[in-house]
Amino acid sequence: MKRKHSLLVVATASLLGASLVTPVVAQAAIPSITIWVDSPRLPGAQAYAKIMKGKVNVNVQLHAQGDLVAKVQLFNTVKKGWPDVVFGPPNDVAFLKNPLVNDVLQLDNLQPASVWKQFGNGNNWCVLDGHIYCVKNDLAQTVLWYNKTLMTQFGYKVPTTMDQFASIGADLAKNHPGYSLGALGDQGAASGYLWPSQCPLNVAKSDTVVVINSKSPKCTRVAALTQPMIDSGVLDVRSPFDAGYIKDVGQADKWLMQIGPSWWGQFVLRPASSYNVPAGQVATAPMPVWAGETKGYSGEYGGGIYTISPHSKFPKAALAFAMFMVGDARNLVTLVNPDGSHGAPTYPAFGPGNKLWTKAVAKDPYYAQNIVPALDKQAQLIWSGTKPVRYDANGAWGASFDTDLATSKNMQHAIDAYAAYTSNLAQQLGYAVVSK
Amino acid sequence: MSQGRHHKPKNLLMILMLSPYLLLLFFFGILPLIMAVINVPTKSLSNPTGGWKVFKIVFHDFRIVSAGEHVLGFMAIFVPLMIFFVVAMSLMLDMNAAPWKKWVRLAYIVPACVSGSVAVLIWYVLLEPTLSPFKGVMHLLGITQASQIWKTSNLTFILAFMAFFALAGQWILIQFGSLQSISTEILEAARVDGCSQYQLATKIKLPLIRKYVIYMGVLVFAGGLQIFVEPQLLNSSIYHGIAQTWSFDQLSYSLAFDQGNFGEASALSLMLLVPSLIGALFVIFKTDMFEDVALKSPKQLRKEAQEREAIAQ
Repeated sequence: MKRKHSLLVVATASLLGASLVTPVVAQAAIPSITIWVDSPRLPGAQAYAKIMKGKVNVNVQLHAQGDLVAKVQLFNTVKKGWPDVVFGPPNDVAFLKNPLVNDVLQLDNLQPASVWKQFGNGNNWCVLDGHIYCVKNDLAQTVLWYNKTLMTQFGYKVPTTMDQFASIGADLAKNHPGYSLGALGDQGAASGYLWPSQCPLNVAKSDTVVVINSKSPKCTRVAALTQPMIDSGVLDVRSPFDAGYIKDVGQADKWLMQIGPSWWGQFVLRPASSYNVPAGQVATAPMPVWAGETKGYSGEYGGGIYTISPHSKFPKAALAFAMFMVGDARNLVTLVNPDGSHGAPTYPAFGPGNKLWTKAVAKDPYYAQNIVPALDKQAQLIWSGTKPVRYDANGAWGASFDTDLATSKNMQHAIDAYAAYTSNLAQQLGYAVVSK
Repeated sequence: MSQGRHHKPKNLLMILMLSPYLLLLFFFGILPLIMAVINVPTKSLSNPTGGWKVFKIVFHDFRIVSAGEHVLGFMAIFVPLMIFFVVAMSLMLDMNAAPWKKWVRLAYIVPACVSGSVAVLIWYVLLEPTLSPFKGVMHLLGITQASQIWKTSNLTFILAFMAFFALAGQWILIQFGSLQSISTEILEAARVDGCSQYQLATKIKLPLIRKYVIYMGVLVFAGGLQIFVEPQLLNSSIYHGIAQTWSFDQLSYSLAFDQGNFGEASALSLMLLVPSLIGALFVIFKTDMFEDVALKSPKQLRKEAQEREAIAQ
């Protein structure tokens, strides 16, 4: 049965792959492109280079995420050396679009509108002032991850509103001390609480105006809801990756719930060296809704992008690579990674590619139930107010919010610290900071 | 005129001997400096029209005050600790010729083999309460969470100790070397005059190696001012954000490579050059470290010998 299934996948894969790569062959001379990817994307890129042999000369280079931002100014100075297509962190697109840097190509007309349409809301991040500037590799939308076994044991219902989440927190502190609803001391607090609550931080209105206002009611309600849980220890002020938190909570079987991104199960809950939650316990649910809202929005924690350089001589070949990575089963499903796992590591942003990928994940026996429906629902509900910005908005969480929260243990204080820090950064990079 | 011709072959030889250094100095010292100066007035998002006012902009950067506090605090601990400890240890090492002295010397160089980047990992494990070999002691003191130790306000101390342990061994050996160069005649004379070991160390040896100590002070100062690797590694791979733009060099790096602002980065680098330059000039002109020792010509030596003979007769 299983073998039959994989054969079917290979067949669809080669069909789909063929449909994606044929336009490239039509170009006259053999195009040659340079690709920069990080290590999780490296096996896929190498597979692509092999597949395209004779049709496109693909030069794959391993680079840390964010390397382009560090080096692009050097390329601009010597006027050569720009890679054709680069995998990078989500904010890169805004930095590269800056006219003084100018290393991102508008992609609207490089492939048919019908293909772009298949992204659904998946490529919204890459749409800036009505045009497409990047290809979203994966979505890191937040969902509610929970331990189904423990929830049943304690007699809790999976919360559908944030108020229910908070009342579970209050009960947990009283009746089951030591158990945790997650840790707040990293970027996850933003993607799991502030962004879904529509707290206006990094809300770029245009290339020159950004809204940063930590005193907005959409931010203060996050502080009001989480503070009692921080005080009782149900929400930890450490980072969820802190060695002590992993030991005290994850490895001690004290982890009950966490609002976390789509990759949380595979990369944080599952590995033996991480939380090591036993098989058959982990499940997902849609985001709990904030009081007074009708939709349970998600934030994002990561979710890389492909950008293409305007200096590229073969932009179509470059785009074809990005589309292979997000849409071809030879990367998404059948690829063998160095650690023995198969396929792409994270939730693909491209609709058709996503269907191929989720088919395998839906059957993963590690999870207590199919985790895909909640992921799919939230993929369409990422609040679009938070935008790419030119400053390092993600690094700023570590520099201000995390360090502040660890010492003050006061959520509002930490959010204010972040707002103050990013306001300064934003002004340095040519934004006017407004409160609305 | 005739004098100039006389000096020519000597100068040529001198230039030839100096040229490898001069080439390196030009390509990796002077040229980057010129490039930095050229880069300063380039246009950037914080300086949209370009120009030299970028120095003022850097000076008002919201991170520069905290970077200054961190680096100066770090140096206030690191520099005196280094000088005091290194001098004391090398004087003690020089005290007597115990048979196991060479093993002690070896022991000093071992911690020096741990470079700054590796030291970060070692200290992370030593000071992380769940991993540390001293976790029993830490728990007794009530330290159970990493955040009780690893926070930005503690980094001044942590980094000072980290740098101290990485560098002290090397300098102890260097100062021990300078103590070895003291003529045994002087030391024996002092002994004959009834000098105790303590007096010998403080009254005789220390003044004689004074200039080496000042030299070390200046180098340690310049090195401390430019601290970069340790906080940068800590920030990027261990505790994300704990040491974001913690030091001046990190701020300069961040301006250049996170914000793409080469103008401000160059301006800050040039500003950082000033204290180091002052230190170097101090060593050259205020200590006799680089004083010319006038060599007597063979002719003069012969003349002196003749004079001595004449007196003897």
